Amino acid sequence: MEINAQIALTVFMGVLLVAVAAWLTRIEDWRSYSSTAGGVVSQGERSEYIEQEKPAGLIRWLTTVDHKDIGILYGIYGLTAFAVGGLMVVLMRVELATPSTTLVGPALYNSLMTSHGITMLFLFGTPIIAAFSNYLIPLIIGADDMAFPRINAIAFWLLPPSALMIWAGFFAGPLGLGFEAPQTAWTLYTPLSTGSAGGSLDPAGGAGIDLMLLGLHLSGVAATMGAINFIATIFTQRDENVTWANLDIFSWTILTQSGLILFAFPLLGSALLMLLADRNFGTSFFLADGGNLLWQHLFWFFGHPEVYILVLPMMGIVSYVLPRFAGRKLFGFKFVVYSTLAIGVLSFGVWAHHMFATGMDPRLRASFMAVSMAIAIPSAVKTFNWITTLWNGRIRLTTPMLFCIGFVSNFIIGGVTGVFLASIPVDLVLHDTYYVVGHFHYIVMGAIAFAGFAGIYYWFPLVTGRMYQATLGKAHFWLSFIGTNITFFAMILLGYGGMPRRYATYLPQFTSLNVIATVGAMILFVGQIIFVWNLVNSWYAGKRVESGDPWDLKRDGVHTVEWQWFDRKIETAITDGGEEEQNAVTDGGEPIDKSENN
Amino acid sequence: MSLETDDGHDDHHHHHLPAVEDWPRGFGEASWWPFITAVGGSGIYIGMALWILRDVVGSPLIGIGAAVASIGLFLVGIYGWLYHAFITKFWTRDITAAGPVSLRWGMITFLGTEIATFGAIFAYYFYFRAGTDWALPAATPTEALTGSLIIANTMVLIASSFTLHWAHHAIRHNDRKNFVRGMGLTVFLGLVFLGGQTLEYYQFIVTYGFNFTEGVYGSAFFGLTGLHGLHVALGIVILSIVFIRGLYGQYSAERHLSVSTASMYWHFVDIVWVFLVVVLYVGAGQI
Ligand code: HEM
Ligand SMILES: [Cu+2]
Repeated sequence: MEINAQIALTVFMGVLLVAVAAWLTRIEDWRSYSSTAGGVVSQGERSEYIEQEKPAGLIRWLTTVDHKDIGILYGIYGLTAFAVGGLMVVLMRVELATPSTTLVGPALYNSLMTSHGITMLFLFGTPIIAAFSNYLIPLIIGADDMAFPRINAIAFWLLPPSALMIWAGFFAGPLGLGFEAPQTAWTLYTPLSTGSAGGSLDPAGGAGIDLMLLGLHLSGVAATMGAINFIATIFTQRDENVTWANLDIFSWTILTQSGLILFAFPLLGSALLMLLADRNFGTSFFLADGGNLLWQHLFWFFGHPEVYILVLPMMGIVSYVLPRFAGRKLFGFKFVVYSTLAIGVLSFGVWAHHMFATGMDPRLRASFMAVSMAIAIPSAVKTFNWITTLWNGRIRLTTPMLFCIGFVSNFIIGGVTGVFLASIPVDLVLHDTYYVVGHFHYIVMGAIAFAGFAGIYYWFPLVTGRMYQATLGKAHFWLSFIGTNITFFAMILLGYGGMPRRYATYLPQFTSLNVIATVGAMILFVGQIIFVWNLVNSWYAGKRVESGDPWDLKRDGVHTVEWQWFDRKIETAITDGGEEEQNAVTDGGEPIDKSENN
Repeated sequence: MSLETDDGHDDHHHHHLPAVEDWPRGFGEASWWPFITAVGGSGIYIGMALWILRDVVGSPLIGIGAAVASIGLFLVGIYGWLYHAFITKFWTRDITAAGPVSLRWGMITFLGTEIATFGAIFAYYFYFRAGTDWALPAATPTEALTGSLIIANTMVLIASSFTLHWAHHAIRHNDRKNFVRGMGLTVFLGLVFLGGQTLEYYQFIVTYGFNFTEGVYGSAFFGLTGLHGLHVALGIVILSIVFIRGLYGQYSAERHLSVSTASMYWHFVDIVWVFLVVVLYVGAGQI
């Protein structure tokens, strides 16, 4: 039955995708959306960000429907989750400094590992991207706000409860509530996650799993609402002179990402509810013969697009920021856009490369291998475009630029290791070893988090009106870069040595590389402490930015829309308020960030 | 789509504040409704969690109570939101050129997510249906699967799509009377369909002893029809809102956006039903 069923499933998924594409081309008259059709092209000034439009204090934040405020909320939420997930993994790495269990036992280790993965992907990754896109996209495309400002706010406020449900098991254990944090790993594979003794009695976390499923579903609903909002915003709220032809790269990647979310997250949502029903209502979605493989199919049909949901916008940020400090435009802009769209489409056709070792039908397996290799091509196109942008450019090694270059470097290693894994014979050897952990951390930490840092530093003055401390920023970069490469390269070697992933203990022969990985993780940890300190401190006490062009972008003619907005905002502030004016005089128009603009 | 662009060109670049008519009053970018809606929405999940933890909290009623209260709060939030964003000052509120288009896009993309939501359960069903050891559970009421009830119910739902289309057509020609009639009829047919489905569930579960614990087919049957039934219920709520607004005299040949988006939703739910009948009822493999 396996073979027929899997072919049926694959055909069904294929038909589904084609149907969706066909439907989209028919349902609307696409050409009617070109903004030039409006005809009114007057470059009027837009009214500015006036504080009186919002109530004061806490109520402002609870009631805000302003995309900039919501972006800040997303940012704080994402960074909090990053800290939580980071602390979890610090504990795990300390445990792994020795082969036997010392600090945390196997059960707690499994819980930490599960929650670390889920936290980083769902509570840090998706929200931190939403932070950038919420704050910036309406500014960049010249919209008043998001298409649905209230839905935007609802989507954000669903997230804090979802995090609490996902983490609930950690509080329940010590409080003696009779359930634990889940130990299923982020993939939630059945039958482990269905529970051996029915719903609430299983050893992998009990009701903690149910709560995590509910929390994940809620966060998926929030992400889906956000995606709908971004698609509607980018399609319909652009200013007349923002056309498809000159739409910026970041908006392109968010548009593609939202398209992926639209089909990936609801599918995961249904799968989560089916699992929940199996655990609590006696259904048999995943209990029948073949159900375990089905879970993997459904999970990875979501799971692979999910990794591109996280990486595409971050590639967008790099494509947007990196050229600013190379003194030129992004090389091959069109091809970066095309490769984004290509990745978006292909990412729905590679999911089974996570299942090569399950004994699935070999013909199917080979075709998934081919598509997985193919997806490396658009990824490489982007990489070459970034490198060519740097080539002979007038490079300024500011903190955001350093993180962009770090991104490219780490992405190359992550991508190349990915292509190796996409090859069936290699994967059969390396699957479920630390090699895989090394591969994806080069991307999720080395690339996704790095691009996030680049964006945070680059737009820090825009959001806070202040400058961060450049020296600390650079220290953060170097500690992160060195830490990442020590930690995750050691993992790649461990994988070659055959060390399996997801265990709290290991054989003594792996000790030295594990110690190295732990040292690397500690370096990373120190770097992140500096980052948080710099961020918080500079937000309150950093030097005020007096120029509307803190990055000297005008010199290269790339003073983009969001900085023009900032320029106008600063000007209004100076003409309005006396205090600001004084500062401007004393500083004599010196750019505040001299060290960053050498 | 360029209907509203003639509201004065000079005005065109002014910042449209998203929440001018709202609570708290007097601000342009503040509204309590999203927060309330989100608290209500999350509360439904927390209610479910408390129900699952019924042994810990002492009684299943706590979870159920929390969920019901949250649904109430959620609906209050939705009401306040829709009221302030769309309903109040229907004729005088200022609309941007992009407003209607973005709502259409909102609905199109939402229907896209619905394809994925249904897709997961259909994928599950096809996966096992195509397998070689496919067998229906003993309790399956095979002859009732294609019996008169299901045929009648399907006809009712299809008819409701036609009545809705008729209403939509009427409002496009400013024929308010037939618009209201058509909407009312559609809501009624939707309710009849839900009634039919309840009857069917009753027969299957009580008379035939076929429920969602009956193996793969039981899970697929109740998963898919249940999910669809929820969508019909939501559709009835949406259509009722349009119907009531119609009774209050809203909508015209130029201004009937929510009629269009509600119809898109309803026709979609209808199409899913026809597909569902073909593969799940007729295609179950009882022959
Ligand atoms: C260059 C294109 C890429 C290819 C060909 C590729 C290939 C693969 C393959 C074959 C695996 C499965 C390994 C196994 O479990 O045996 C894998 C795992 C993984 N990849 Fe990639 N990958 C690529 C890019 C990415 C990117 C961009 C991301 C993240 C944004 C990513 C994240 C992951 C994750 C998270 C896993 C592990 C999932 C798990 O088992 O927990 N990969 N990759
Ligand atoms: Cu993958």
